[in-house]
Amino acid sequence: MKIIRTHPFSINRVSGLDEWFRHPLAGLPSLSSFINNLGEVFPGVAGDKLAVDVHEDKDSYFASFEVPGVRKEDVKIELNNGVLTVAAEKREKDGEKESSYSLTRSVSVPDGVNAEAIAAKLEDGILTVTLPKQERSKPRTITLS
Amino acid sequence: MNTTCSPSTCTPATSGVTESLRKPLYNINGNAEAYEIRVELPGVPKSNVKLDLEENILTVRGERSTTVPEGMKALHRELSPLSYLLRLRLNAPVSEDQMSAKLEDGVLTLHLPLKEVAKPRQIPVL
Repeated sequence: MKIIRTHPFSINRVSGLDEWFRHPLAGLPSLSSFINNLGEVFPGVAGDKLAVDVHEDKDSYFASFEVPGVRKEDVKIELNNGVLTVAAEKREKDGEKESSYSLTRSVSVPDGVNAEAIAAKLEDGILTVTLPKQERSKPRTITLS
Repeated sequence: MNTTCSPSTCTPATSGVTESLRKPLYNINGNAEAYEIRVELPGVPKSNVKLDLEENILTVRGERSTTVPEGMKALHRELSPLSYLLRLRLNAPVSEDQMSAKLEDGVLTLHLPLKEVAKPRQIPVL
């Protein structure tokens, strides 16, 4: 594979522009995948996709999202049909002007997660969602009466 | 002068520690009174931010706290574990004693007021 460094357009955070780019290129898989993969080339820069890390220990899964400058009240977390969706609204104030843009990311949640016990915390611009694993059903011995 | 030496005779001044750092995203706004710099430092706690102004070079360093506690297995990685370093050359005199910095939600906001001499002045015509 050959990697060619090009800058066909400026990388912009305006999600409307991003959508505009995606729509006309829907029929060109290589180009649209290039745009979708921008986040991997320029972490945290491209478009409206949030970068995520997923870790696991014996009790839980942990999903960490990078959301600098996002306040607690501007984060929405949703679990729907085994898909965890995080939406963050980022607001920036430059004197009189205020701009905002939204970042979203969905990750599929493995089976065996206790949906009732999902917890999230926001610290130093990192959102950590804790997904506790359901306790495995222990083998039961049935005694004969 | 003999400039060549064997490894045993010339030891480097500092032990060879290589560090990988990356440049954070930042924004600079300014008016006639002050500059405001916003630096995105996700994952850096307040105690790990180092600010330094020397010879008109402003250095911002943020050590990322290790996000992975022991005994955890990484299933998927996208976030960079590297710490941040940003160096900016100031082209206007800044009153150092009035500088202020604030870290909130992973964003460092620096307020750099300009010195009186650098502010625009109106000269009245007599």
